[in-house]
Amino acid sequence: MDTPSISLGGGEPIIRLRDVAKSYWREELEIPVLQGIDLDIPVGAYIALMGPSGSGKTTLLNLIAGIDRPTGGSLEVCGSELNDLDDDELAGWRNGHVGFIFQNYNLVPVLTAFENVELPLLLTGAGRGERRDRVEQALGLVNLTDKLRSYPRQLSGGQEQRVAIARAIVTEPDLLVADEPTGALDAKNAEEVLGLMERLNSELGKTIVMVTHDPKAAHHARHQIHLEKGVFDRTVEVNR
Amino acid sequence: MILGLLLAAPFVAYLAWLVWALVAYPIPLGYNLRSLWQRKLSSASTAAAIALVVGIFVVVLSLAQGLSVAFVSSGRPDQALVLRPNARYELNSSIERDRMRILKVHPLLQREGNAPMASAESVVVKLFTMVDGSDTNVTIRGMERMGITLRPQVHLVQGRWFRPSLSEVVVPRKMAGRFPGMELGGRLRMGGRDWAVVGTFEAGGASYESEVWADVNDVMQAFKREAYSVMLGRLEAPERVVGFGQSVEEDRRLQLEVIRETDYFKTLTKAGDPIKILGNLITLILTGAAIFAAMNTMYAAVAGRTKEIGTLRALGFRQREILASFQWESIFLCLTGGLLGSGLALFANGVQTSTTSFQTFSDVSFAFTITPGLMAQGVAFSLVMGLLGGFLPAWRASRIPLTEAMKGG
Repeated sequence: MDTPSISLGGGEPIIRLRDVAKSYWREELEIPVLQGIDLDIPVGAYIALMGPSGSGKTTLLNLIAGIDRPTGGSLEVCGSELNDLDDDELAGWRNGHVGFIFQNYNLVPVLTAFENVELPLLLTGAGRGERRDRVEQALGLVNLTDKLRSYPRQLSGGQEQRVAIARAIVTEPDLLVADEPTGALDAKNAEEVLGLMERLNSELGKTIVMVTHDPKAAHHARHQIHLEKGVFDRTVEVNR
Repeated sequence: MILGLLLAAPFVAYLAWLVWALVAYPIPLGYNLRSLWQRKLSSASTAAAIALVVGIFVVVLSLAQGLSVAFVSSGRPDQALVLRPNARYELNSSIERDRMRILKVHPLLQREGNAPMASAESVVVKLFTMVDGSDTNVTIRGMERMGITLRPQVHLVQGRWFRPSLSEVVVPRKMAGRFPGMELGGRLRMGGRDWAVVGTFEAGGASYESEVWADVNDVMQAFKREAYSVMLGRLEAPERVVGFGQSVEEDRRLQLEVIRETDYFKTLTKAGDPIKILGNLITLILTGAAIFAAMNTMYAAVAGRTKEIGTLRALGFRQREILASFQWESIFLCLTGGLLGSGLALFANGVQTSTTSFQTFSDVSFAFTITPGLMAQGVAFSLVMGLLGGFLPAWRASRIPLTEAMKGG
């Protein structure tokens, strides 16, 4: 099937996908989710992946983030060909290059805000003092230094998502991936989180790929890529 | 032995890896401990089940320990027991009076003044009815006065020692409450005559605390015995026992068998085997149930935290780190139960009980003896349960496909 390739230009791509395909199998039946995806995303881009349910946007996000593996094609992300990495290497790669922001925050309920943010740093070999500094810095960036010792149950939804954002940026990754980051928030908190992500992109130069259904959320991105039945439908440049 | 080592090798290697993982892997232990605390009810009920099993396990071990204390503390390495060849036990043995006379003047026997440190003894069993109405055999030991000297761990608590020809007995203080008439001033009916209880004694937990003592000639007359059962003698030093044995065994006039007293009592510890087998069987069944309980709790923990596992994996934690983390959680859960169970077992420490020896067909009383070593074995046992009960759930946690885990399973 012919499918449009998307190149957002703007210099060396941080994400380069070539002929990427993903299928799931239900017994003998192959269910294609993504087909022939070609995509170049430059460093510093802020992309909103949009499309109806089942269009393959979360699958594409998972492939870019090294959560899932394609059934065909190649993915070069943050300088690594992901198909060449085994599971352990891929785990290390995710830790070093990708920050995750989830719809339901995915904080560990038995850990404090500080400990949740510290989690990915535990894998980096950073010492206790360095970890403390970086966690405080990340939580300072999301204005939650007064909630270091709070457990997730003691925080509002917006605060939880800000802790999750702090966790996503604490290792200073090249790429942030967000799956419906405002899906569980009210309008005020959603706006706050989106504003924060916009700052991370514009001020810290983070490349962000966000999956969203919400046109308002998508409006904060620089580009919107629309998927339909596993192929690119169109790209829209956002005038903010 | 080799098969045991082969079976244990992967287990030990896995445990060593887990200990290494505890230091090398970064998932904080606090995460596991707090997760257990968060599921208080299921954690507590599983820990209680483990505690019960470990408690029973330690009590069963303490039973063997108590029997061992009773028998091993009964003997001395510089003393020897002389029996009829192949008799194996005092009750089966008989030594005619002529042979006993020769035996008692053996030059290797230590002397106290002019008297050889040897006691000709007659051992019989007599059925007694206990205060609860049940019947049990009690060992009656007829001995010479030197027999008391040869057992320095025995000391009189009340009254005086028996005197010859007066049908007098001394009884263990611990038997006083268990048998009617077995108290100072009481009377016992045995061998067709009444015996006066003139004293009570203690023996520091030794097996003598299951015996009634009297003069050897009185016992032989009452029970119509023509021959003695055994002779107990003390040598100058423990190493003299071998020479004494060779000399007695090679003497054509004697043709008797010599066994070091401590070795003899070791063979008697087999008295606890039936109880140990039963106890181990019960422990085995309960262990299976406890491992199942631990497994069930950990499977529930994994199922309830699938999304957490997915998050940890997404953040970069590897499968083996997840495996180690959940395995340690299971170990902590079971160790808590193990510590609790070992502590509870302490309540059994010193409690008196008795069993029937299949060697002597008589009652052997002893105390449950909980030692720090046994408690450590109980805790180690809970560690094994934690490993076995937690392995499959931990494996499952580490193997959930990442995309599935992130969706919450």
